[in-house]
Amino acid sequence: MRTMEGTRRSGIGIGPERTIHDAAAVMEQTGVGALAVIDGDRLVGIVTDRDLVRRGLAKGMPADARVDGIMSAPVVTIGADDDLHSAFALFRTHAVRRLAVVRDGQFMGMITVDDLLIDLAADLADLSRPITGEVLFAHHDSPVPATR
Amino acid sequence: MQASTGDRIMIHGHRIGEPDRDGEVLEVRGTDGGPPYVVRWGNSGHETIFFPGSDATVQHFEHAAS
Repeated sequence: MRTMEGTRRSGIGIGPERTIHDAAAVMEQTGVGALAVIDGDRLVGIVTDRDLVRRGLAKGMPADARVDGIMSAPVVTIGADDDLHSAFALFRTHAVRRLAVVRDGQFMGMITVDDLLIDLAADLADLSRPITGEVLFAHHDSPVPATR
Repeated sequence: MQASTGDRIMIHGHRIGEPDRDGEVLEVRGTDGGPPYVVRWGNSGHETIFFPGSDATVQHFEHAAS
């Protein structure tokens, strides 16, 4: 599966000159926990709800401070057409919960650990279904071939 | 996804009880109506650059010729 196919949520971007109050309001309005910070058409950072708390509120930054003052950069990215399994390695090595999905250097969306967990849970459910059936219900052994 | 200025974007809730979000397309930055879009969300007036995923749909409106 390509990474873009495993991405469940739309990506939301804001400019680096926007305020941290704007960023919080956009998160509330759109229901996302991370925003791409985009300067022109270039991805320059990611700001998360955690950044707003730890780097903004906790440090006493004013609500009209620029969002690029608290964003995380550089951004860990993955190609939209890369195999989804390559995301596992990136999550493992970079200790992040979100990856920016890019194509030709352009931001396309975000993939999260949650997205992968949902896919894995579905795969595990598919795999365990026949085993669960065997445990809970009578065995259905293949019939012995009839002999003459 | 293809959209035009004035169309309505919907992001559908991901969890039970989570409301849908909607916004108006103010600008199309991609080619041939493709993303990204500049979208103003709800009545808040907050504008963002929007990159639609599988959770988003667009409602087209007929636009009167100017």
